[in-house]
Amino acid sequence: MKAGKIADIIQRLGVILVYVVLWMPIVILVILSFSSHAIGLRWQGFTLQWYVQVLNTPKAMEALKNSLFVSTVATVISTIGGTLAAYGLYKYKFRGRSALRMSVLLPITIPYVVTAATLLIFFTQVIRIPMGYITIIIAHITFSAPLAVFIVLGRMARVDWTLEEASADLGADKLTTWRKVIVPVLLPAIMISAALIFPWSFNDFTITYFVAGVGTMTLPIYIFSLMQYCRTPVVINAISSVFVVLPIIGLLLVTFLQRKETT
Amino acid sequence: MVKFLTKQVHLPYVGPVGLWVLLFVLIPMGVAVYLSFVTSGPHSRIIHEFTLDNYRALFTSARLLILARSFQYAVVTNVVCLLVGYPLAYWIVRHGGRFKLLLLGGMIVPSWISQLLRLYALRRLAGDPGIINSVLLGLGVISSPVKMLFNPTAVVFGLIFVWLPFMMLPIYASLEGLDQSLLEASVDLGATPFKRFFTVTLPLTKGGVFAGTILCLIPAFGDWLSPLILGGDRVLMAGSLVRLYFISVGNFPLGAAVAVILTAAVLLMIYIFIKLGGEEAIERLV
Repeated sequence: MKAGKIADIIQRLGVILVYVVLWMPIVILVILSFSSHAIGLRWQGFTLQWYVQVLNTPKAMEALKNSLFVSTVATVISTIGGTLAAYGLYKYKFRGRSALRMSVLLPITIPYVVTAATLLIFFTQVIRIPMGYITIIIAHITFSAPLAVFIVLGRMARVDWTLEEASADLGADKLTTWRKVIVPVLLPAIMISAALIFPWSFNDFTITYFVAGVGTMTLPIYIFSLMQYCRTPVVINAISSVFVVLPIIGLLLVTFLQRKETT
Repeated sequence: MVKFLTKQVHLPYVGPVGLWVLLFVLIPMGVAVYLSFVTSGPHSRIIHEFTLDNYRALFTSARLLILARSFQYAVVTNVVCLLVGYPLAYWIVRHGGRFKLLLLGGMIVPSWISQLLRLYALRRLAGDPGIINSVLLGLGVISSPVKMLFNPTAVVFGLIFVWLPFMMLPIYASLEGLDQSLLEASVDLGATPFKRFFTVTLPLTKGGVFAGTILCLIPAFGDWLSPLILGGDRVLMAGSLVRLYFISVGNFPLGAAVAVILTAAVLLMIYIFIKLGGEEAIERLV
C-alpha cells in the first residue's frame, strides 16, 4: 500500500511539473510587466509605467484597433459562411459532397506556412491585389471558416430537427424558419466557433506575417517588430497581459455556453 | 432547367464556402504546384518554362538535410507530447476530481495564447541576457551566462511547449468519452491494470491519439516560429526555408517547391493516420 502512495505522489508531482513548465514563462512575463526594470529581467519595484507607455504609443493602439477589426470581420464572415455550409453538408446529399468535406478540411490540416505561402503566391502572382487588411482578412477566413463548418456540423448531428419540419408544415418560409428555429438551435455551436475563431485570428502571426505586406500592423506583427528593435522589451510584457487575459475570458465564455448547450 | 435548379437547393448553403475554398485554397495550391516547376529570373520575375531545377536544388543540397531534420524534430516533438499528454489526460480523467475543470482550462488557455508570445516568454527566460541567467548570476551559482538557446534542443523544446496542448486535448476528449462499463468488465474478467490499459483503454482511445498526432506533428513539421525565436535562425526547419524564399529572398518558385514537398509529406501522413486511426481521428479534430 505504501508503494501505491508513493506512486500517487510521484504522479501528482509529474502533473504539477507539466503545468509549471507550461505556465511559468508566460506568468513570469506578465509579473515582470509590473516591474520597473526596463529590460524586464528582475523585480525592481511595482510600476504601471509600461502600461501607461503602451497606452500612449499611438502605433500600439492603432495595431490593437486593426487587430480587433480584422478579427471581428474574419470571425463574423467565417461563422456565417461556416454555419450555412454545415447546414448544407448535413441536410443535402449532392454530388461532390465528400469532395467538398475533404477540401474544407484541407486548410486545417496542412501546415500554416503552406496556407500562408500559397495565398501569398495567389495574391501577388494571380489576382495581383496589394497586401493589406483585405489580404489578411481573406487569409484568416480561409483558415477559420473550416473550423466553424466542423464545429457546427458536430452540433447538427445532435439536434432534434422535427421543429424545423413543423415550422415548414405550418407554412413558415425558409427565412422565418432560419430566424425562429435553425439559428436558435445552432446558436451555442455558432457562439463556440466564434469564441474559438476570434482569439485564433487575434493571435495569428504565422499566416498574417506572409500576407500583411509593408506597413500593415496587427498587434502580433507590432509585437514582432518590437522584439527586434525595442530597447525596453518590458513593454512587450505589458502587451502580453492582454493576450493572457483574453483567452481566459474566452474560456469562461465557452464553458458557460457549453453548460447552456447541455441543459 | 427548372428541374436542374430545384435540384441545386444545397447551393445557397454550401456555395459560399465551397467557392471560397476553391478560390483561396485549391487554386492557390494549384498555382503553387505550377510555380514549383518554373524558375525565377532577375528581380524575382517568373520565367514560365518547365524545369525540375527547384526540386533538384532541394534534393541535392544541404536543404534536403533541413527538410529531413524538420521531420525528425516534428517526430521527436510528437513522441514527447504523446508520452506526456496521454498519461496527463489519463490522470486528469481518473483523479482530477474537483480540479478537473481547472486542469483542463490550464491546458486550453495556453493553446489560445499567441505562440509568438509564448516562445518569446521562453526566450526571455532562457536567453542571455535572460531571467534564469540573471538569477543564477545574482546567486553566484554560475560565473558566466549559460548558453541555452540557438541550438536544436531549444527549438524542439519550443515545439513541445507550443504543441503539447493540441496533443493532450483530443486524447482527453476520447478518454472522457470512454465507456466505463467496458473497463469494469475487463476487471471482472480478471485483467490486470496493465493488460486492461493495453487491450481496452488504448485501442478505444486510438482515435484521440491519432487526432492529437495530426494536430501536433503537422504544425510542428511546418513551424517556423520556434526555429526563428529559439533557434535564432541558426537552426533551420522546412518552414524557415519557406519564409526565407518567400519573404527574404523573393524566390517564389523555390519556395513553392518547398511548400509542395511539405504538403505532399503531410497529406501522405494524414492518409496513413486515417487508415490506422479510422474516421474517428477526423471527427476528433474539432
